[in-house]
Formats: sequence, C-alpha cells, structure tokens
Amino acid sequence: MTARAVIDVSELPSATMDHRSTIWWGNLMLLCIETMMFALLVGAYFYIRQNFYEWPPPKVHDPPAIYHAVPLLTVPTINLVLLLMSCIPMAWVDRACLKHNQMSVTLGLVVVILCGAAVIIFRFLEFHSLLFKWNENAYASAVWTILGMHLLHLFTGTLEFALLLSWLLLKDMDVKHARDIRVTATYWYWIAGVWLVLYAIVYLSPRFL
Amino acid sequence: MSALVLEQKELNEPLERVALERVWKRPPGFIGWITTTHHKDIAIRYIVTAFIFFALAGILAFFMRLQLSFPENNILGPDRYNQFFTVHGMTMMFLFAVPVMEALGLYFVPLMIGTRNVAFPRMNAFGYYTYLAGGILLYVGLFLNIGPDTGWFSYVPLSGPQFSPGKRVDFWAQMITLTEIAALVGAVEIIVTVFKMRAPGMSLNRLPIFVWAQLITAFMIIFAMPAIMLGSGMLAMDRLTHVSTHFFNPAEGGDALLYQHIFWFFGHPEVYIIFIPATGFVSTIIPVFARRKIFGYTALVLSLISIGFIGFGLWVHHMFATPVPELGQSFFTAASMMIAIPSGIQIFCWIATLWGGKPQMQLPLLFVLGFIALFVLGGLTGVILASVSLDLQVHDTFFVVAHFHYVLIGGAVFPLFAAIYYWFPKWTGRLLDKSLGLWHFWLFFIGFNLTFFPMHQLGLKGMPRRIYTYAYDSGWANLNLLATTGAAIMGISIVLFLINVWRSRHSGVNAGPNPWHSPTLEWATESPPPDYNFVYLPTVQSREPLWDEVSPPVVCGLSNRKRESLITTLMEAAPDHRYELPEDSIWPVILALVVGGGISWAIFDPWAVPISALLTFIVLCFWFWRGNEPASLTHHVQSSEDLQLLKSEANKI
Repeated sequence: MTARAVIDVSELPSATMDHRSTIWWGNLMLLCIETMMFALLVGAYFYIRQNFYEWPPPKVHDPPAIYHAVPLLTVPTINLVLLLMSCIPMAWVDRACLKHNQMSVTLGLVVVILCGAAVIIFRFLEFHSLLFKWNENAYASAVWTILGMHLLHLFTGTLEFALLLSWLLLKDMDVKHARDIRVTATYWYWIAGVWLVLYAIVYLSPRFL
Repeated sequence: MSALVLEQKELNEPLERVALERVWKRPPGFIGWITTTHHKDIAIRYIVTAFIFFALAGILAFFMRLQLSFPENNILGPDRYNQFFTVHGMTMMFLFAVPVMEALGLYFVPLMIGTRNVAFPRMNAFGYYTYLAGGILLYVGLFLNIGPDTGWFSYVPLSGPQFSPGKRVDFWAQMITLTEIAALVGAVEIIVTVFKMRAPGMSLNRLPIFVWAQLITAFMIIFAMPAIMLGSGMLAMDRLTHVSTHFFNPAEGGDALLYQHIFWFFGHPEVYIIFIPATGFVSTIIPVFARRKIFGYTALVLSLISIGFIGFGLWVHHMFATPVPELGQSFFTAASMMIAIPSGIQIFCWIATLWGGKPQMQLPLLFVLGFIALFVLGGLTGVILASVSLDLQVHDTFFVVAHFHYVLIGGAVFPLFAAIYYWFPKWTGRLLDKSLGLWHFWLFFIGFNLTFFPMHQLGLKGMPRRIYTYAYDSGWANLNLLATTGAAIMGISIVLFLINVWRSRHSGVNAGPNPWHSPTLEWATESPPPDYNFVYLPTVQSREPLWDEVSPPVVCGLSNRKRESLITTLMEAAPDHRYELPEDSIWPVILALVVGGGISWAIFDPWAVPISALLTFIVLCFWFWRGNEPASLTHHVQSSEDLQLLKSEANKI
C-alpha cells in the first residue's frame, strides 16, 4: 500500500434535483427531438399550403358544402386554456418537490393528472372542430397528425405522472423521485408551451395569415 | 467544498478491485448475457452485428456487380436486382455505417472520459435490441422475396400506394423507424455521458477530439433523424389501408417534393453523421503514430462544429434536377462549396501533424493515409456535383455512384478499418497480424479503385444508376467488367480481414495495456478493460493525460457496494455528485420486443400502434418499478463477514 494523491468524493450528495443530474439532460434531449419533429411537421403543413388556392380547402366531399372550412374555435380554445392552467398546479408540485413536502406533491399530482385526463378527453372532441377527416385531403392529414402527435405526448405525460403518483402513495419520496417528478414537470411545461404555438398555427393562422 | 480537497491517502487497491469485481459482475450464463447493461458488452454487440450486416450488404453488392459484368446478363433479373440495390444501400447506411460509428463511441466515450458506464445503461441496451429488430425485419422481407425495391431513399410517387402496392415499401419504412429509434437513443447516451460524466479536470477544452466528434455527431442525429422518422411515418400512413393520408398524394393537395425535402433534410446530415466520427478516428490515430500532439486542436474542433451546422444547409443539392427556385439552388451551391473549407482545414491539420512528427508506418496509419488520398478524390467530385450545371449533366448516373462510394468508403470505411487495427488490442488484449493486415489494405485499396474509379467514366458516358442491365452496343461493357473484377478483389480482402480478426482474437501477439503509447484515457486501464473500467476514476490535467510527466490524483470515496460513478459539472468537469447506475435488467430486451413487434405488425394493421403503445407503457412501469429498488437491498449486502471474505480474496491476488 502506497500513499497517493486523491480527491475524496464520499461526502458529495448522491442525487440532485436540477440540471446537474443526468436525467434532466436526457429529458432535454428528448424535448429537442420532439421539438424538431413538430417543427418539421409545421414545415410540412405550410409546404402543403402552397398547393391550395383556398386554405383550408373547401369542404365539398359531403354536404353541407363549406367554402371556407376553417377549424372551429370553441372546444380547442377551452382546451388550450385548460392545458395552460394545468401548469399552475404543476408549478406548485415543482416547488413542493424542492421543499420535500410529500403531501403537497401528492395532492398537486392528483390535480395535474385530472387536468391531463380532461385535456385528453377534450382533445378527442377537438378532432371534430377540424371539419375534415384525416383522409379527405393533405391539409386534413397534416392537422390530424399535428393534433394526434400532441395527443400522444399528453398520454405520455399523464401516464408518467400516474406512475409517479402510485410510487408516492406506496413508498416515500426521496431525492431521486422528487427529481423524477421535477423532470416530468419540465416535460409538462413543454407539452403546454408547444401547444400554444401549434394552436396558433392550426386554428389562428388560417384565419389571419 | 471539503470533498474536493486534495489529500494523500493509503489506498488498498486489491481490496477495491475485488469489491468492484463483485458489484459489476453480470450474472452467469444466458441470463447474464441477455440482461447485461455494460456499455462495452452492448457496443461490441453493435460492432459485431454491424459487421455481419456489412458482409451481407457486401454479398448483395457483389451479386449486383456480377449482374452488371456483361451486357444483357440475366443472373438476378430486374426485380431481384431492384431489391438487392435497395437493401444494399439501406443496410450500408442504416444497419452498418451509422450504428458502427455510434458503437465505437458507446465503447470508447466512457473510457476516454474516465467513467464507468454510459449515463443510461438500460436504455443503451434497449437501443441495441431495437436496432437488431430493424435489421432482422429488413432481411426477413428480403428472404421472403418481398424486400423493398424502390431505392434507399424510396422516393414517392414510386413508393406510394399507387405504384408500389403490396408491403415491400412498408418494410423499408418500419425498418427506418426502428433503426432511427436506436440511433437517437445512442445519441442521447453520448451527449449526456459527455456532458455530465467526464473525469474531474477534463474541461471541454481538454476533451479528446474523438469525443468531440462523437458529441457533434450525436447532436446532428438529434436534429436530423426526426426528419426521416417523420417522413417514413407519413409514407407508411399514406400507404396503409384504413389510414390513407394524403401527404404525398398530389390529387388531394399533397406533394411529392415535400417527401424529397424531408428525406434529404435528414439524408445530407446523415453523410456527416457517418463522416464526422471517422474524422474523430483519424484525429486520434495520426498524433499517436506521428509521435506528437495534434496540430491545431482548436481549429479541428471548430471545423467539426461548423461542419455540423453547414451540414444542415446542403440538402437541396440532392434535388437540383427538381424545380427548386434558382435563388435557392445558388444558396445550396454556395453552402455545398463552403463545407469544403472546414473539411480542408482538417486535412491541413492532419498533414501538419504528420509533417511535424516522426510518422511510424503502422497499419492504422496506413489506412489513414489511404483515407486521405481517397477522400480528397471523393471531395473533388463533390465540388463538381455541388455545381448546378454540372450536376444536371451527371444526375442519376454512375458518376454519382462513384462519388459517394469514394466519400463513404474512402471517407468512413478506411478510417473505420484504421480504428479497428488501432483499438483491436483494447478489445482483446492482442494485436492483429501485420502481414495479413498489409494484404488486406493493399487488396482493399486496389480493389476499391478498380471498382469505383471506372464508374466516373461510365457516368460521364451516360450509364444511369440502378439499371439492371445494358445493351451490347452501349460501350459500357469493358469498364463494367473491370469494376466487377475490382469488387472481387475487395471481397477477398474483406475475407482476409475477417480471418485475421478471428485468428488474432485468441492467438495474436500480446499487446499489453498500451501498445501504441497513446495519450488518451482508454489506455490507462487493462485490455480488455474490466467491467467497471477503472479501479479508481482518473483525473486529468491536460489534453494528453498519458503523455504527462506526473500522474494526476485519482478519485476515491465512490461506493464499491453498488454501481456508482461520478457526475461532474458541464464546463469545468468539477466533481458534483455521486450517481448510482442501474443493475443488469431484462426489461430493455422485453421493451425492444414489444416496440419491434408492434412496429412490424403496424405494416399490416393500424391497430398495432395503440396496442403496442399500451404494452410499452406496461413494460415501462415494470422497468421503472424494478429499477427503483435500491441495489444495496437486493443482493450486494455487505456484512462484516463479507468484508473478511473480500479481504482474503484480495490477499490471494
């Protein structure tokens, strides 16, 4: 045995709850991939638009014919507001994680999951606001895909929270799980944020652009 | 922080070694083999699988050359020829080139930055099995004679529902989805590992260029691969009965050119996703054999970064024969020429390193020199193709085939062989045989040029690519026969290489831990490295840690009762916190089965998507739940008797 110069790391913490942890970065990379996917989808939407005189195209396949078939606003707007509002309990959960308040985290997660479920249900109604079925024309294919892809993320986020909630109900919240919840919260903010942009593109851009 | 104080300490290395051995050992037998999450196990599997696909695609290519060796030949016939060139291209791009380059990163990045595993070991295993599923899917299609037959880029309208009925193109689309999932997984692994798990002291400006190359490639994958997943997904939806979207159907406002834009938005960066890691090998190998530090480290890194950016601005030069606006064409011509600047800077840095050193002619360097010669040739024809007027003349001819084989084989396969000769001793502890290696190099070099150089001329003479035969009076026969002869020579050289690998892995010359006196950390541990990579994680004080006069301090205080590694800060790589890595796990294999099965099934039935999504969620629940049991509670209980046992084992060593 010989003495060596060492750096002793045994006193360092075994987990952190923020951008210092690996999973935070893993999640960020996932969000880059998904953002890229949506950006390309939006690119495709506007590319297809060049092929139409009237955007959205007139609905003539079955009566009543609609000349300017812009998607309806009511349900989508309610849903947008609901999704954005869900960020408030989300932020509350986020802060409760930092304070290691398991009770608040559990309650907050229940609220977020309920919001998520409501948004998912409204999303299914929202498809009717598009006036077309996905296989009627290229415009319809693009908007259905945008809504559908986003719906997939809503499912993922909500189910992830359900899983984390069941962990909290059965076990104790340690630093690692508090961090997991915070990382999933980042994912949820992204889901809401990206929808703000996509909502504007799907529902507002045909009206004003 | 107290933890960061440098101190002198007595370290019991044998005891630590035995303890780590126990914690990192995988279970015995098949169970251990299938559940392993060690990055080295997974990476070696990637490399071996990729070379099997390389051999398969090589055999397909040889059949294509046989078919073209004489005019009006009919060995394969038109339909099989179409399947062969499509599957050849897909295999080489998606099942060989990208995975093998990433695999070298997955093996060496953790070793070079001085850590114990990649950031997410189970996800890494999942990536491999998904890739395997994609490869198997493609070859099942081919062997059932329903392999894709629309070329590796599968343009619509040819690949659309109207002109390609049946399921052939769907095999193309779903194989893409699976392999791109794997590529994205690998990219996330590499980025997070490099960002967060570097040895203390390895600030970004001390990162080995190999690791820089892998990092930049991983970022390119993150931003390029979503395009092909989206494009192949749209195509699959357009084709699938009961879904029948109209993205690429002009009758309903869709657009065939949209497909080309989406495809090449991925397709051009893809070339750099293959090429940048190769330059990483070259920048690693040249200084070792020139016996000096690399010339122009900063210039090289900045060149790589700018290639990473400019690589996204070139895609339209694949579409010069389509009605793209002229202003757009000029922009993409300019960008295509601009990328020659950082590529040129790299070549000058390499030449300067060789110039200023004392080059030792070992096999890895020989392959690197072969690379420089061939890549310069491929680059020159690249500049020619970047020009709209010239491009239109040779579009879709064998000139293009010659160009991209010079770039891809010259620019990626030669560096890859250099890397294999260079790192083989790290994997096996033994050197590859030199004389067989020389035969391999010269036969491959000569065979390659005999095969592909004549194709330039064939292209200029007007021979289109992807035709299964040609007429007697076309005047193309002699050059085609020459190309086929070259292909045979290349085939022989690959066989020699495989024999060399097979024999040397057990009976080659013993290499010792650092046969080439290399400066990077992967050589600071045994060959092959133990499961935990390093007994004590290293720290570094320069870019060439093993060439330093003094050996820097090591890290101690990590647990040897569970799999633990050190997380450091992003820029400076200062120690930040400890990180428990997961155990071996069966769930990655099961998840890959579910995802692979679901995506394959979706060829026939859209309901496969929601059903496999639900199954995926269920598997992920198990993955999460099982993986969250603290390891110390499962089987690494260490009592005082246990410690005694460890000590006695250590004393035996």
